[in-house]
Amino acid sequence: MSASAAVETESQPSIDVDSDVVIETRNLGKIYRDFWGRKKVAALKSLDIEVKKGEIFGLLGPNGSGKSTTIKLIQGLLFPTSGRAFVFGKDARDVTKNERIGYLPEESYLYKFLNAEETLDFYARLFDMPAGERKERSDRLIRMVGLHQARRRQLREYSKGMTRRIGLAQALVNEPDLLILDEPTTGMDPIGSREMKDLIIKLRDEGKTILLCSHQLADVQDVCDRVAILHQGELRELGRVDSLLKVRDVTEVHATGISDETKEKIAELIRNDGGQVVSMDNPTTTMEELFLDIVQDNRPGSRPTAN
Amino acid sequence: MRIEKDQMLSYFEWLIFNFGLLQGAIVAVALSLLGFVVCYLVSMARYGPSEAFFHVTRVIYELLARDLPGTSIRRVYALARLAFQEAIRRRVLVIMAVFIAVLLFAGWFLDPAADNIAQLYISFVMTGTSYLILLLGLFLSCFSIPADMKSKTIQTITTKPVRSTEIVLGRIFGFTAVGTVLLVSMGVLSYVFVIRGIEHRHESGDIASDGMSGETSYDASHAHSFEMSGDEGTTDEQKGHRHLVTRTGDGQYVIGSPEGLLNARIPVYGRLAFTDRGGNPGIGLNVGYEDEYQKYIEGTSLMSAIWTFSNVQPSRFGGGDTLPIEMSLQAFRTLKGDIVTGVQGAIILKHTNGRVESERIPFIVKEFSVDQKEIPRKLSGSRDGEPVELDIFDDIVDEDGKLEIHVRCTDPGQYLGMSAADLYLRAGDSTFGWNMFKGFLGIWMQMFLIICLGVMFSTFLSGPVAMVATMTCLVLGFFGSLAFDVATGDTPGGGPIESLIRIPTQQGAMVDLDLGNPVLEKTIKIVDNGIMYTLFSVFKAIPSFGQFNTSDYVAYGFDIFSGLVARHLTMTIAYFILTSVIAYFFLKTREIAAA
Ligand SMILES: Nc1ncnc2c1ncn2[C@@H]1O[C@H](COP(=O)(O)OP(=O)(O)OP(=O)(O)O)[C@@H](O)[C@H]1O
Ligand SMILES: [Mg+2]
Repeated sequence: MSASAAVETESQPSIDVDSDVVIETRNLGKIYRDFWGRKKVAALKSLDIEVKKGEIFGLLGPNGSGKSTTIKLIQGLLFPTSGRAFVFGKDARDVTKNERIGYLPEESYLYKFLNAEETLDFYARLFDMPAGERKERSDRLIRMVGLHQARRRQLREYSKGMTRRIGLAQALVNEPDLLILDEPTTGMDPIGSREMKDLIIKLRDEGKTILLCSHQLADVQDVCDRVAILHQGELRELGRVDSLLKVRDVTEVHATGISDETKEKIAELIRNDGGQVVSMDNPTTTMEELFLDIVQDNRPGSRPTAN
Repeated sequence: MRIEKDQMLSYFEWLIFNFGLLQGAIVAVALSLLGFVVCYLVSMARYGPSEAFFHVTRVIYELLARDLPGTSIRRVYALARLAFQEAIRRRVLVIMAVFIAVLLFAGWFLDPAADNIAQLYISFVMTGTSYLILLLGLFLSCFSIPADMKSKTIQTITTKPVRSTEIVLGRIFGFTAVGTVLLVSMGVLSYVFVIRGIEHRHESGDIASDGMSGETSYDASHAHSFEMSGDEGTTDEQKGHRHLVTRTGDGQYVIGSPEGLLNARIPVYGRLAFTDRGGNPGIGLNVGYEDEYQKYIEGTSLMSAIWTFSNVQPSRFGGGDTLPIEMSLQAFRTLKGDIVTGVQGAIILKHTNGRVESERIPFIVKEFSVDQKEIPRKLSGSRDGEPVELDIFDDIVDEDGKLEIHVRCTDPGQYLGMSAADLYLRAGDSTFGWNMFKGFLGIWMQMFLIICLGVMFSTFLSGPVAMVATMTCLVLGFFGSLAFDVATGDTPGGGPIESLIRIPTQQGAMVDLDLGNPVLEKTIKIVDNGIMYTLFSVFKAIPSFGQFNTSDYVAYGFDIFSGLVARHLTMTIAYFILTSVIAYFFLKTREIAAA
């Protein structure tokens, strides 16, 4: 199998166009090569995932585990070394799929000499939008991401979080059905990341599909319906967030204002019931624990890994 | 200034018979094959032989079936606008300041006392403009896409429904727009600069006692004398111009602006043939210069140079009271002769049937300048040997509008040299401003080509490398004709392989290669021809930039005929298509995020 296969369009994905599956990767792999064609890094190995319509899908993994690579393969920014990726039933390298996609890259790669309005106007033009619509959209989006006071300032003057916000607005300019977000909350202030999460959930409720990757595990736990955890280019865990976290038969008790006596009583109660008190500290984020376990190889991934 | 034979062809002659369609088609096919092979090899290195073929054809299919039909004007416009804004942000307007500064300080190195001041000024501004504009095009086009790749801003573009065609076209058009804005401003400034540069006035100086002639004051390094007829008059010609002189009511003489400096002569060129010493059709003599540009005829022999002009009608020559002929012939002396008067010759107008001819119109060669002759419509001559009075347009021009002009050298032992462009009929004048516009259009086309090449190279090379590649094309293009000789294959001693064999075996270039093995010799010849033809195609494919530069026409006061402009535009469009397709291929097959 070779990269040229990625241009083929005859062999259709197993899904048909109006089915529930928005993104499908089949045996997707990427090896970065240097100029002379020598192998440098196997960034992604044989990935099979399906993202369904109307869900928020999270990609997790430590630095360099292949999250951004996966996203770029799905967008056609990279050509796979093996396997294929489909979006809306179209090959990842078909540009027409982009009509329905909004993409926020790792860093907002925007033209620094444009101001917020010009930026949105420019990207809206790329969707072949007439002038009136462009104006209306960019006004609304600038207000939505809270940049209306900085709308006439060049992006070079923007702070990191402001750049992230205009990047998000840019990704939403075509009212996409699929939103791909590469670390959406980095650089955002707490209110910003709260708003971002609310927005993601709101969009999901409108029936849009969201693929995101993030290091903010709490955020992921808050918003994602399903997650895939990558480690060194391999898929190690895939499933619904609630069931993934429920696998571990742990009950958490959150309470304030109870005395040590009461705590002891509760422990007593559990023991009487045949249970066992594991810990009774301030609770850690369970997502984080799951993540750390997988990444530190304390626990074999529940999925068979390739190779 | 030197006009090559093929530059005199009309547009359709060129398109259909010469260099145009036919050769263009051959070159296009050869290049497409070459392009295909290169792309195939590149793909093969990546994916193996069978996949590669599939890969390349797939890209071609994608271009024709999807990306070209999917290309949207609005997206191209948006991208072009972005490229424009980017260029402005990179402070290209500084170039304008440089240009203005150059014009301001031009006085230091332009000699206002020069004989051909208009030519000097025009050459100066046009050369200056073209250097600045070409440099600008080079820098803008070569660095833009690589910079976008590096800053990754291109990723935000390609994840929109943007076709590779649109990225390529957007860049080309955007930068061309920047260049056009600058070029137009420079053109306007240049025009004003030239007009103001040649402008000078004289006061009236000494006036003769009858008031009918006089001298002007000495200004701009010269003075004129003038003759009056009534209240109006003209000065003599100095440094290529005259002034009108008018006498006002109170007896003052007012001397007007210089006239005749800014010309746009419309020449009508003819086809040149020669007769040999016996008066039979033949070729002219070569007096031993390497350059075969001009041929010579011998004095007091039957040798003559015959120009045949078509479509000679009174309406083309301002009503036809006279037939204006202009010539600039070369003299070649074999003896000192009469050094004061110069070599003499004669013009005879002839009917194509050879039975009607005018009397001899003698002239003395003015070397290195244009000799203007106004031949009166009515003149004496002969029909079938009988002396008659003739009318040029009624009697000597034939039914098809053809006219022959014969030139002979009447100085014994001396020679006259000429090429087809050295004698022409002057069919009036175009306006100088319009001609200058056409000259600037030539610079514009050069700029456009450079932008196309730069954008093409920058789709797969880094900025500096793309610039070197473009400059290589540019240099090869400027010396296009030179490279052409190398590539036409008319070299004694054979192609590269044959020559390599001849050197160690010490075989002379004039004898056939002899290796004692006919099959081997044949193979070498075929391979050599293949190599030569490839070289030929490659050189042919490089636009000969020099050719697009028509500023000499403007400077020397010749109208740039529209056939030439049309031809250059055709070539420009052809190169534009070629470079865009190649740029498309490389952009399409490039992994945007792997850079
Ligand atoms: N252009 C490239 N050339 C070579 N190797 C690359 C390139 N881009 C990424 N890699 C390598 O591929 C692997 C996966 O990188 P990727 O960017 O997908 O990681 P990531 O999961 O997004 O990490 P992070 O959390 O830091 O964003 C890394 O080992 C990285 O070094
Ligand atoms: Mg990343």
